[in-house]
Amino acid sequence: MSEDSPYWIEGTVPETPTPAEYPEPWGKTNVVGARLPRVDAYERVSGSAVYPSDVILPGMLYGAILRCPHSRARVLSVDSASAEAMPGVHAVITASTPEADIPWSYRRGPESRLFPSLCQHEGEAVAAVAAETPQQAVDALRAIRIDYEILPHVADQETSSDPESPKIWDDGNELPARPPYERGNIATGFAEADVVLELTFTTACEIHAPMETHGCVAQWDGDRLTLWESTQGVFAVQARVAEILGLPLSKVRIVGHYMGGGFGSKLQAGKYSIIAPILARLTARPVKLFLSREENMLCVGNRPPSRMTLKAGVKKDGTLTALAMDTLSTPGAYAISGFGLEDWQIRDLYTVPNVRTSNRFVFINAGPARPFRAPGHPQGSWALEQMMDDLADAIDMDPIVFRLKNIPSVSQARGGQPYTTTGLKQCLTDGAAAFNWETGRSRPVQKTHLKRGVGMGACLWIAGGGGPPSTAIVKIFADGSVNLNLGASDIGTGTKSVMAMVVAEELGIDPHAIQIEHADTATTQFATPSGGSKTIPTESPAVREAAYAVRRRLIELAAEQHDLAIEDLELATGAVVSKTDPAVSFPITELEGLQRRGLVMGVGYRGPNPEDVAITPFAAQFCEVEVNTRTGEIRILRFLGAHDSGRVMNRLTYDNQIFGGITMGIGLALTEERILDQATGKMVNANLHDYKIPTALDVPAEMASLAIDPHDEQCNTTGAKGIGEPVTIPTAGAIANAVFHATGVRITESPITPGRFLEAQAAQAEEV
Amino acid sequence: MFPRFSHARPTDLQAALALLEQASGRIHAGGTDLLGCLHDGVLTADTLVSLSNIAELKGISPSTENGLRIGAMTPIGAVAAHAGIRSTYSALAQAASVVANPPLRSQGTLGGNLCQKTRCWYYRGDFPCLRKGGDHCFAFEGENQHHAIFGGEGCYMVHPSDTAPALAALGATCRISGGGSSRSVPVDQFLMPALVDPQRETVLEPTEILTEILLPPAPPGLRSSYRKIRSRQAWDFALAGVALALQFDGNVVRSARVFLSGAAPMPWRAQGAEAVITGNSLNAQTITKAAAAAVEGAEPLQHNGAKVALFEGLVAESLETMG
Ligand SMILES: Cc1cc2nc3c(=O)[nH]c(=O)nc-3n(C[C@H](O)[C@H](O)[C@H](O)COP(=O)(O)OP(=O)(O)OC[C@H]3O[C@@H](n4cnc5c(N)ncnc54)[C@H](O)[C@@H]3O)c2cc1C
Repeated sequence: MSEDSPYWIEGTVPETPTPAEYPEPWGKTNVVGARLPRVDAYERVSGSAVYPSDVILPGMLYGAILRCPHSRARVLSVDSASAEAMPGVHAVITASTPEADIPWSYRRGPESRLFPSLCQHEGEAVAAVAAETPQQAVDALRAIRIDYEILPHVADQETSSDPESPKIWDDGNELPARPPYERGNIATGFAEADVVLELTFTTACEIHAPMETHGCVAQWDGDRLTLWESTQGVFAVQARVAEILGLPLSKVRIVGHYMGGGFGSKLQAGKYSIIAPILARLTARPVKLFLSREENMLCVGNRPPSRMTLKAGVKKDGTLTALAMDTLSTPGAYAISGFGLEDWQIRDLYTVPNVRTSNRFVFINAGPARPFRAPGHPQGSWALEQMMDDLADAIDMDPIVFRLKNIPSVSQARGGQPYTTTGLKQCLTDGAAAFNWETGRSRPVQKTHLKRGVGMGACLWIAGGGGPPSTAIVKIFADGSVNLNLGASDIGTGTKSVMAMVVAEELGIDPHAIQIEHADTATTQFATPSGGSKTIPTESPAVREAAYAVRRRLIELAAEQHDLAIEDLELATGAVVSKTDPAVSFPITELEGLQRRGLVMGVGYRGPNPEDVAITPFAAQFCEVEVNTRTGEIRILRFLGAHDSGRVMNRLTYDNQIFGGITMGIGLALTEERILDQATGKMVNANLHDYKIPTALDVPAEMASLAIDPHDEQCNTTGAKGIGEPVTIPTAGAIANAVFHATGVRITESPITPGRFLEAQAAQAEEV
Repeated sequence: MFPRFSHARPTDLQAALALLEQASGRIHAGGTDLLGCLHDGVLTADTLVSLSNIAELKGISPSTENGLRIGAMTPIGAVAAHAGIRSTYSALAQAASVVANPPLRSQGTLGGNLCQKTRCWYYRGDFPCLRKGGDHCFAFEGENQHHAIFGGEGCYMVHPSDTAPALAALGATCRISGGGSSRSVPVDQFLMPALVDPQRETVLEPTEILTEILLPPAPPGLRSSYRKIRSRQAWDFALAGVALALQFDGNVVRSARVFLSGAAPMPWRAQGAEAVITGNSLNAQTITKAAAAAVEGAEPLQHNGAKVALFEGLVAESLETMG
């Protein structure tokens, strides 16, 4: 992952041309930044929005995938005769079906096949069926007889490299080592320190659990394939499907208008995206293939577990002198993506001259890691932010004062590049003030067994500046109505609403009146998947450029028609008006040029980012907890997220991200954990009941956001940086710090379940 | 997906019992547990006999003994909301109100709550465990963080019901019909230790129906409570729970019944704690001793050692709020 290209991009992507002329920075805005309900809120809430899993086509069959129940096994034989003979069953495909006997390669790591004979994790695809009802499809799967040779497995990253552990792949269980990251000299740094602390932190594996499971509906029309897929990026799916099925890109249409959530696991096609078209082709029927919740939990991806040993040195005056971290993690059975970057906070967040980080990755027989909302960052933050508090404690300094002493003005991990803007200091100071930090911090020790405390964590996110390519088209029709066309997916974050606001800002119209066409490879323009907190900073400048072009053209048409100077005209609501004479006003619908052409179109491209600067979102989050020291129960009483993500485009969707990110972080801190049965390697909690995602009752009623906008005029033409990932980075560490403040118990293992808290408390009592 | 079964919806109890005599049937109450088990292949069935059309099995009314009679088909939510239960049998009202979530409480019945299958992830998952007819308990040496610290013999499940410990503490009785007669069994004997028959959780025969639950009249000075610890605040079973039913005479506890949930294959009676409390007032010393006694003899497994401290803390806290 920390390789050349960012995690949301597989392979190379086209560049878009640099715009000829950039619009001026906005300054004050009329629409952008408002609390605007989503343009598709009614459709989403009323149920009329058609998600891929809602698609029903005439004659459609239902596909289902047979999955290996063992964590490691060889398929010796497959007998599908009785399944094929079952009522309603139209096709059964296995590794010996010629159409399905195809390779399936992962970007890194060993080659595999669509239906591999060596199954390396519970849930590997072994066969698939298409039948008239979903029930018949599942019954048919159960009728397929597979003879497995169960092989020894590895279920724990800690033992994967032991000499006695079974070898998962021929060349062993370790991924090739990457050179450590080094700057300065840590030995010197630790020698200069007054206090040196070392702690080992672990985070549990978290599972991707979007509300809509992964899947698609496939339909052939001659040699042209259409897939309605629940995806974060239709063009990424198109490229993979075309490559694997050997089709021209022009013949593969991916449609992904609505989708029920994606946090990194839907950045690319899955095996289902290939299996559904194969089944559809063989049966000459459309095929719908959506994974069950259990399959989703086993196969589509996870935030891998981590063990991080962090050593830190500090001087009495609060100067950090050195940080060193060694990380162990696992990509699962395949090295696909989504592992690594645990050390980015350590490298870049605070001013430290001496840093060394190293990573080890080992294979285990479990489902693959995938980018999971800010890959690596929440893990590293769990370690670093807790360590920062321990250091502050050791030198008797307030944690915020301590952090403020170590705020960098340049990106140290990028060789000292300046940030376009950094609101880190303001996130800390303004956030602390809004949260009433001082009061919470100085509350006298409570006498009962219910202890309250406050804690915080800060962060930055490696990406979040976006960048090319992106192409957007805005059309205004003869009647003045407007159409926006862009390729990006709205993964539930409100992309469509924000882009409509950008167009509305430029054209002076109501954002809800704009018709949006998006996320369709046949009718919209190339876009990279929505991930990396980059959708707004990538797409909004292109959209603005397109709307700006339309605006300019309308003004030109009015100037031509009425023989006026362009400089004297501007676009107001529905009319081109004179800047100097309010009586001069030409309704758009009366512009001859527009009437004759039928429409005026503007094309916007995303230009390159400024060179030699880092575009980075920053944040600080604060929370108050109440810990029951007898039962280990932790209640979160309130949370505040202070975020510098540049310009706030829509305050409602902005707050949605902050509150959603905090909710996800609460899961990391308190409840979420994949549990593998060590004896069999099988996941025992592959359902939404035993794998515990926070519910509404686990989230505090008191959630607040504070927008820190340092007015970034350099990053792009809308001044927005990414928000989607930083919102979940510091949350868990902040909670652990609040628990420490409340109880004096430092919990280094996530999630902090009641049992873990009580054990840590007892262990600490013994030490004293 | 589901096994093939026929479904009957008789309108009176006798017809339902007759159906159970004829075929290997399963009782379908609210279906919230049963359908999941059938769907996941944990249970099979030829016939489902629904009780949803039998009026006499529903409702809460005074019993002939001046206590309360709760029909087995009464929704859990109705139990939680019942004014008489809330005022007189708080442990039951509190337990019913922390079951699952609102939709499950309106669909799930009190009878079904007592008869539900364990939530042990090996039992519910794709593991041929002892309780499903296999030869061993996977939890014993496996992932047993939520498993039994008491009474695990052969099988280390914990009984999932929140209402069972509350009913047991309150001295409630199950009324059972079947085989041409009816019988009464106290709730704490209705649920069985694992050793008796690892494939059965209750004393019910396949041809029997739990028809009602009887709460005895509340003795003067009765105070009761149920408190549950869980990993998240909704839609979660008890990591640990405690039901208390204490009869006070002034400050002194005349009699005490203490049952733990999440501790054992059935509601676990903490007799040691009861003995400490009985005859004493609930001062700090008594409470500390009682809490320690509640976990005496616990046999934690590899991953559930923290439950011992958890129960101790929970019992102490619950006793404190009682005093
Ligand atoms: C997601 C989820 C979370 C839950 N959380 C909790 C919780 O926190 N606490 C808790 O206590 N429970 C919890 N439950 C369990 C829930 O309370 C039970 O599913 C419900 O009480 C069962 O009632 P029912 O009427 O739906 O029973 P059914 O599902 O119809 O039946 C359950 C079982 O009991 C048998 N049965 C039912 N009624 C009778 C009868 N009258 N006589 C004989 N046998 C009978 C059935 O044959 C079946 O085997 C949860 C369930 C789910 C699905």
